Amino acid sequence: MKILIIEDEKDLVEIMNNYLGSEGFLCESASSYFEAEDSLSVFKYDIIILDLTLPGGDGLDLIKLIKERNKEAGLLIVSAKNSLDDKIKGLDMGADDYISKPFHLAELNSRIKSLARRRHFDGTNELIFNEIKINVESNEISVNGEIIDLTKTEYDILLYFMVNRNKLITRESIAEHVWGDSISYADNFDFVYSHIKNLRKKIRQKNGGNYIHNLYGIGYKFSD
Amino acid sequence: MKLLKKTNRTYFIISASAFVVAGVLIYFVLSFIFEDQLNEKLKSDMDSIVRAIERDNTVPYYYPFIEVRKVYGQTIRPANTVDTLLFDESERESIPFRQISSVKIIKGQMYLIVARDTLLEKSDLLLIIGVVIGLVFALLNISLYFINRKLSINIWKPFYSTLDHLKGFSPDDHEFKLSTVNEIDEFTELNKTLENLTSKVISDYQSLKRFTEDASHEIQTPLAVIQSRLEALIQYPDIKKDQAELIKSAYTSVQRISKLIQTLLLLTKIANYQFPEKSRVNLSELLEEKIKLFEDHIKSKSLILKKEIEPEVYLETNFFLTESMIMNLFGNAVKHSLKEGIINIRLRTGYLGISNTGSPLSVPSDKLFERFYKIDKSTVSQGLGLAIVKEICRLNRWEISYEYKDDQHTFKVKF
Repeated sequence: MKILIIEDEKDLVEIMNNYLGSEGFLCESASSYFEAEDSLSVFKYDIIILDLTLPGGDGLDLIKLIKERNKEAGLLIVSAKNSLDDKIKGLDMGADDYISKPFHLAELNSRIKSLARRRHFDGTNELIFNEIKINVESNEISVNGEIIDLTKTEYDILLYFMVNRNKLITRESIAEHVWGDSISYADNFDFVYSHIKNLRKKIRQKNGGNYIHNLYGIGYKFSD
Repeated sequence: MKLLKKTNRTYFIISASAFVVAGVLIYFVLSFIFEDQLNEKLKSDMDSIVRAIERDNTVPYYYPFIEVRKVYGQTIRPANTVDTLLFDESERESIPFRQISSVKIIKGQMYLIVARDTLLEKSDLLLIIGVVIGLVFALLNISLYFINRKLSINIWKPFYSTLDHLKGFSPDDHEFKLSTVNEIDEFTELNKTLENLTSKVISDYQSLKRFTEDASHEIQTPLAVIQSRLEALIQYPDIKKDQAELIKSAYTSVQRISKLIQTLLLLTKIANYQFPEKSRVNLSELLEEKIKLFEDHIKSKSLILKKEIEPEVYLETNFFLTESMIMNLFGNAVKHSLKEGIINIRLRTGYLGISNTGSPLSVPSDKLFERFYKIDKSTVSQGLGLAIVKEICRLNRWEISYEYKDDQHTFKVKF
């Protein structure tokens, strides 16, 4: 799957490149309005990550261009402006999602995979990890072929783990992914632990493996 | 008061007082002239009578105007003037007269000579002057009213059009144009001055807006780099526990800075009126939705949530800011409530109250809304939440207050 990263901060491009590359995406980048124009006129991409603040032009104008030249591409806007205006305008103009800086890499990865899934780029709506299977269409989870019943929160956490498998995901990233802004009003991450504990228990009940590993109190890794 | 009403009223008051003064003056001048003339006339009457007696030896008699009698043994008296009332048979009323009388010896005979003439009645004079002055006054004011109305419609037209334009002004407009071709120089100047002023306001607003966005971009992008680098760093498989601790601490700090910048910029934006968009916000729905977000928080602290939320409470306001206010107030209540405490939420038209159980404040309550004010210095909270709530309320002209009663901290917002 081919991704175009339009972002002027070289370091950030490199980091996204590495992270998304390790997830099996093929990444190209453009660091200015004109470079982006060039790339868009020559190649087709499956997903485009666009930072709205670009040297040489307004990122919002690029959305128009993307919609003209690369209509099928999923478009994720990244912006540090955090201005509601841009978010609404961007989504109105046909962007599929919006993420503000700074973001968790796991979150970025999860958004991109969700975009890819929605577009059926990989031709399946199932996520599989060993004996665990998630049907993202019907929201059904099965372990060893048996359906397990998860709460919405547990489902969200599991899906987040599954798309970010083999990566260490910080607690903050999980908490923000599931609880959004409200997490900043929590005294601690206790209820993140308790949901993960329940999730582990439910998977174990169906003879599933314990794949959720707690690492140094920083976060979790979902792996063998 | 409308300009037209004000000018008319001023004209009315000034002309009324001028006319009253004029009326009084006219009255005194006229009565003086009348009396003077009357005295002159009576004197010349007297002289004519005396001449008539001398010439013809006849005694003229024409009551009540001329009365001459032969008298005897009286002292000679020069002319003296008195006012008197005489009864008029035909009109059956007393009529005021001025009379001049004198005792004179003419050709050896002594005469009492009286000459009279009617005095103008003072009330009549007053009435006449009053009516005339009143008529002129009415005529003047009616014509002034119509002249003013016509003037205000024609001459003030550009002024009212400027006013209409100004009412629609928003600093978010990119351009603000007023007509600078007017018949009247003052209005042209007014429009030019206003145009300068508004273009300054627009450019200040735009540059502030750009500043907050640029500042945000310039700070958040490097923070994004740091945060992502740290996240990439912890992916290394052979990382040691103490190294992980270091990374974790740096990671937490980056997040804190990032949130702090976001909040500070939000405060700046509110203060700069950068949220002009308004819509009809369903407060009841918004509140229920936010409460749902906090279900886990509430469960983990074993809080009791009591809510009285009237359905369909609407506000015409900015959605984002209202959301932000509710998140802050409700989030604070959850955060600062004691374990197993009670959270009360009341919403009805024009009123929102959110309270939580807690021990009394150790500081004056007015400090609560100050920026960076933390009751507990050790907490990682920014101390900006209530400052934001206060700004949002100020912007919307809502009234926020705090109260502590029966172990409950309550924040009340009146819309």
